[in-house]
Amino acid sequence: MTLAKRKSKLALSRDNRWRLRKFVADYGVYIALLILLLVAALLTPKLFAVDTIAVVMRQASQLGIVAIGQTLVLLVAGLDLSVGGIFIMTSVVVAEVGNGRNEMIAPAILTALALGALVGLGNGLLVTKRRVPPFVATLGMLVLVKGATQAYTRGVPGGFVPEALGIVNQSWFVLSVPLALWLGLNAIFIFVLRGTTYGRRVYAVGSNIEAARLSGIPVDAIRISVYVLGSLFAVASGIVLTGYVLYVDRFIGSGLDLDSIAAAVVGGTAFIGGRGGLLGTIAGVLIIQILSTMVVLLGLDVEVQFIIKGLVILGAVTLYSVASTES
Amino acid sequence: MNEPILEMRGISKSFAGVQALKNVSFRCQAGLVYGLVGENGAGKSTLMKILAGAYKADAGEIIYKGMPRETASTGEIIDSGISIIYQELALVPQMSVAENIFLGREPRNRLGILDLGQLHARSNELLSRLGVALDTRLSVSELTIAQQQLVEIAKALSQDADLIVMDEPSAILAGSELDQLFDIIAALKAQGVTIVYISHRLEEVFRIADEVTVLKDGEVVDSRPISQLDRPTLVRLMVGRSLDEIFPQTDHEQGDLVLSAEDIETDTILDGVSLRLHAGEILGIAGMVGSGRTELARALFGADPLTHGEVRLVGKSLQWKTPSQAIRAGLVLVPEDRKSQGLFTALSVRINITIPILSRLSRLGIVRRPAEEGVVINAQQRLSIVMTSPEQETQYLSGGNQQKVVLAKWLETEPTVIILDEPTRGVDVGAKFEIYKLMRQLNDRGIAIIMISSELPEIIGMSDRILVMNDGRVAGELSRENADEERIIELATLGSAEAQLA
Repeated sequence: MTLAKRKSKLALSRDNRWRLRKFVADYGVYIALLILLLVAALLTPKLFAVDTIAVVMRQASQLGIVAIGQTLVLLVAGLDLSVGGIFIMTSVVVAEVGNGRNEMIAPAILTALALGALVGLGNGLLVTKRRVPPFVATLGMLVLVKGATQAYTRGVPGGFVPEALGIVNQSWFVLSVPLALWLGLNAIFIFVLRGTTYGRRVYAVGSNIEAARLSGIPVDAIRISVYVLGSLFAVASGIVLTGYVLYVDRFIGSGLDLDSIAAAVVGGTAFIGGRGGLLGTIAGVLIIQILSTMVVLLGLDVEVQFIIKGLVILGAVTLYSVASTES
Repeated sequence: MNEPILEMRGISKSFAGVQALKNVSFRCQAGLVYGLVGENGAGKSTLMKILAGAYKADAGEIIYKGMPRETASTGEIIDSGISIIYQELALVPQMSVAENIFLGREPRNRLGILDLGQLHARSNELLSRLGVALDTRLSVSELTIAQQQLVEIAKALSQDADLIVMDEPSAILAGSELDQLFDIIAALKAQGVTIVYISHRLEEVFRIADEVTVLKDGEVVDSRPISQLDRPTLVRLMVGRSLDEIFPQTDHEQGDLVLSAEDIETDTILDGVSLRLHAGEILGIAGMVGSGRTELARALFGADPLTHGEVRLVGKSLQWKTPSQAIRAGLVLVPEDRKSQGLFTALSVRINITIPILSRLSRLGIVRRPAEEGVVINAQQRLSIVMTSPEQETQYLSGGNQQKVVLAKWLETEPTVIILDEPTRGVDVGAKFEIYKLMRQLNDRGIAIIMISSELPEIIGMSDRILVMNDGRVAGELSRENADEERIIELATLGSAEAQLA
């Protein structure tokens, strides 16, 4: 009898273990963020000063905007490495077209968006029509965009960023223009993913592309559109970055490309597609940004920042893969 | 009287809330052959995986050779004398027969160096115990599947197995190879080895088993000596109802022509197929795997572009070139491989069911949630889908319920023609019966069905007419009255050369 009792207890705990796994997969990133904030409260209380929060949130916004696009691309089982090239291209285009004239800001932004859309279209066509693996297609596009930008500027970027783009540095307490943009775009795209036919189709394509095709979903169009969106978000991040520094920078946004992938993955968006979402990515962005800031506040070397970032990414990925392994 | 060599008592096991085994008990005496039978999904393999230590039971105990077995690693279980031979053989193709038999336990000489002489001598000895002659130097990749299976059995013997479980060994064997396997089983039995033989082919069980245990839906239905069983009884035990009750019959008149295909070809094996389909009719498509059945379905659905001929729905001048156009025209395909082509396993039941009709359920691209939920609840009731909630991910449903979700998804598009490719594969018998009933209901509403199936009883039991495919062509058409298994197999296997001679 005691044996039977013990066994039933065992059965219960197995069922619980399964629930725990599901819980980790669904909410792990938010718990990790909470724990990180608690640790920060002990180690680096300065993080919670209004000024610091403002800086963290501004940087999080720069990363977060491109991470929205990256998440969309990952959801269709894709990957976008070309965003790094788009930052640089955006910076150069804004300076060349704007050339210091404030009235040219709108045409400059529109030009950058149009060129970005072309890059995304290229990515999408390569991946869908030519069946190039996303890693290779977008890596090639990254090199191409960087190269084209350098060829155009002959290594010495010309033009001036219009002063008025500094509007992105305006803020109302903690709420800066980039933060408002980040939050607004998130609100829109969280709704798009959950409440619209388009969002459903994005998840369906990522979850099972063959079933999606046989369900009558135009899978290629959906994938191409997602790559175009991914590039447009990268342009938006690029504009915010350019407005922040107000000069043409050949290395602008370096590191944000890989960080955007890391943020989405830490936030629970699966590399194999169809799983995850923007709320998780927001948490992922905040975790990465807070960690980076803590390293600075603790006076540690920048290299430490990379080590910690790497550990967090590996930890998250390990946790998710354990959580998704059925016994 | 005899002490059992193995006794499994009250074994229960569930996966993610689905009960796979309920209080199952199973006992074996040394030197006898036990048949373990049941439909797909009855729990046979789960039970044996628990025995092998691959799964842990949630409840119950295993007594082996008179001792309760605590949890052990698969290695310890093999050492204790239990060997399991799975359908997917676990051999290293590049290595020799002898090396495979003693993999990981190679005989060594005093210097710790591999003793090749011993290796081959002992391998030969084991193979001769099985009464087979096989060059132990051959690499396994050069062997036939049947010979590879022999190597697995020899490997089990080399581990001093007292109990050998064979999981559907006949599935990969041809007739004469099967006879050889049965001879070997008899030889092993004479040497006192206990055999558990898993199969759903009844003839085999009657040939070799001393005792039969029937599993159904995770429970033991019955366990008796083979002498107390006959074929119809065993079928009834396995299936829970007799055969004529399985296929529901309705008398319905043949309706108007709804779909016709003329001489269609695609970039596949498909080679000039014509067919006609009438309202309220089930047209069965039989044929071997690779005969072009699935390719025919994909061609009709627009999934593979036609290179010749045409398909049209009568009364509609529409032509379609893609699945989405076919769906809009009223023709849908429930694909053969549910997991890879039919389901979004990581997504919820709700999202799965409504994906093809989203435009109907949305306004300005925004999905109307109440309308959507109505559809899902409706579908659940109509097909009695068992799920915890509409938000449950479909990967956690049983095979039968997954298939119902895929069916529900397509029924919501209100088609006039449904193509079902292997509609009951991997589905338990209860759900099978429900699917058959549903097909008849659809017929009564005038919906025409094309059913592709490898299961001949299903083809014969359900179809009004049967087309037999062979090498990309229609080899023949049979009416319900003159269809039997032999005729279908004859048409399906007749080579084209022989056909010309005949």
